[in-house]
Amino acid sequence: MFKLALASLWNRRGSVWLTIVAIAVSSLLLLGVERIRVQTQENFANTISGTDLIVGARTGSTELLLSSVFHIGNLSNTMSWQSYDYLQNLPGVQWHIPMAMGDSVRGFPVIATTDALFHNFQYGNKRPLAFATGKSFAEHEALTYAVLGADAAAELQLSVDDELVIAHGTGEISFTQHDAHPFLVSGILARTGTPIDRGVFIPLAAQALVHGDYLPEPATAEGHEHDHEHGHDHDHGHSHQHGPTHDHGDANPPVYTISAVLLGLENPALALRLQRVINTYKQEALSAIMPGLALQNFWRTLSLFERALVAISVLVVITGLLGMLTTLLASLRERRREMAVLRSIGAGPMTILGLLVVEAFAVTLLGVLLGTAGLYAVLFFGADVLHESLGIQVTASVLTLRELYLLAAILVAATLLSLYPAWRAYRNALADGLTVKI
Amino acid sequence: MSTCVELNRLQFSWPGAQSPLLSIPSLTVTRGERVLLRGASGSGKSTLLGLIAGIHTSGPGQVQVLGQDLANLSQHRRDRLRANEIGYIFQQFNLLPYLSASANVTLACQFAPARRERLQQHDIDQQAAMLLTRLGLTPEQQQQPAHQLSVGQQQRVAAARALLGSPALIIADEPTSALDQAHRDDFIKLLFEACDAQQTTLLFVTHDATLAPLFPRSIELSEINEAGAANV
Repeated sequence: MFKLALASLWNRRGSVWLTIVAIAVSSLLLLGVERIRVQTQENFANTISGTDLIVGARTGSTELLLSSVFHIGNLSNTMSWQSYDYLQNLPGVQWHIPMAMGDSVRGFPVIATTDALFHNFQYGNKRPLAFATGKSFAEHEALTYAVLGADAAAELQLSVDDELVIAHGTGEISFTQHDAHPFLVSGILARTGTPIDRGVFIPLAAQALVHGDYLPEPATAEGHEHDHEHGHDHDHGHSHQHGPTHDHGDANPPVYTISAVLLGLENPALALRLQRVINTYKQEALSAIMPGLALQNFWRTLSLFERALVAISVLVVITGLLGMLTTLLASLRERRREMAVLRSIGAGPMTILGLLVVEAFAVTLLGVLLGTAGLYAVLFFGADVLHESLGIQVTASVLTLRELYLLAAILVAATLLSLYPAWRAYRNALADGLTVKI
Repeated sequence: MSTCVELNRLQFSWPGAQSPLLSIPSLTVTRGERVLLRGASGSGKSTLLGLIAGIHTSGPGQVQVLGQDLANLSQHRRDRLRANEIGYIFQQFNLLPYLSASANVTLACQFAPARRERLQQHDIDQQAAMLLTRLGLTPEQQQQPAHQLSVGQQQRVAAARALLGSPALIIADEPTSALDQAHRDDFIKLLFEACDAQQTTLLFVTHDATLAPLFPRSIELSEINEAGAANV
């Protein structure tokens, strides 16, 4: 019976192909949306990786996450440099990235940090930051160098050695321009698809300089130049340590307060214990959050949008299946003769019904397979383009269980739908018998 | 000789019809007989064949095929009986156009376990090829898709399908009306030969009275159908 159904389909391959393509396109869309949804969520979770704890002054976890990872909003509280010193010296801390925020360049957030950012910060699948052009601000003696994220550089139309002026506050337009201290672009980061792309990164000491917290007397300023600091790489036994200062007590810190610190631990399993230690720190009220957990909580608040996306693609699949239903129903009329011949050689009405169901199943199966193949073709050939242009990272991984369920659901729906034309054919077969009135 | 088809006070009317289309007090066809059933168009010939083939069920009265009362059989059993014991030849468009001639013939065994059993000693494809060759199709023509064959060839393929696996009864519903005179006589001669070889009963329906001399027994539907007589 299966062979007969296939032969009959082959006979009508013109219209059958179109139906298969319609189903393929709709299942491709469903799979694509599902994949983008899941992978966007993953990307979202991947905006930061390798960082075990984010520490800031006592605040809510979402506020701390948004300001430190997404550079959105403003932390009203800051933490003292002494606390940062304390964090660096906690047991198990492998690396630390301080961040001081609050300024902007035409809407792009300025993050005052250290060279550690370029060495230790990781995103996505543990990918480190890379320079597209130029180099780190730490490789210049002067403090007035900045590194730009890919989007910031593109939209501000800046390239290496161009000048930029940093404004106070995070607004698009600021009345307080720090134009006494124009910066030069030292390097531009490769695109990451994360909020890093929109950042403007300057040395910690430079922010102090801009704000006048810290008066750069020649001797002291020298003491904080970054090339000099390599010599002070003595703590924690980590070769990539580029903290601004390790001379606690005897030297002035580059800034007195910072907004947040990203911590990397030698053993991620320590995070929970260390989180408690930090949260109960007596000297200053601090909050430590685990980025993965905080991101998950935050994603949940964004789920409305993703649900709308899924709903749309489900509707497209329904359209595809209705197309198949229409084709099947339309073909019944021209196939009455075929049915009568089958009846004459002893095919029961149930056989006729089964034939149509098998046919619909075969068409849908082919469509779904074609759609899946199409998805992989798009992922395989288009992944780089998607990443470069939209910052959406999708990988051609094996179908997930959920995706297989979706495909199975399409097949089941198609089979159920085909029962209607099959039932019509059954009725026709009973009524027509062997004489077909066309 | 046992009876092949027996009608007893058969009455049939389509749902909603005022008067019965068929009302046949009695008709008996014995096994191995070759019977011509002649009737004008619209006189209920095809309906009668549908009743004998077990596609439709009659109202009052009895239709017995090979000793089985069709009214007592379920739909499935009637389909099975038709598949196993009745070969059906239409006026035209007998074949599934997308299958080869040979595949169309072997299709007869698809729903018919009894036919397959009768062919047990022989390969089904081989048997089909033998039948087709005897009916005058070359091996090349046997592999061609059915829609590429001429009408005469198609009718012979249909006959081969009806004959394959030696069913007890062959019902031919105006199988020659799409053929010209020479092909018609040729076709009937071949059909007779094949039926003789298998001792198959042949019920041949036509509106063409000129065929009557070819058959040992010929029946006018209007003579046995009381309903028809009343209507005309």
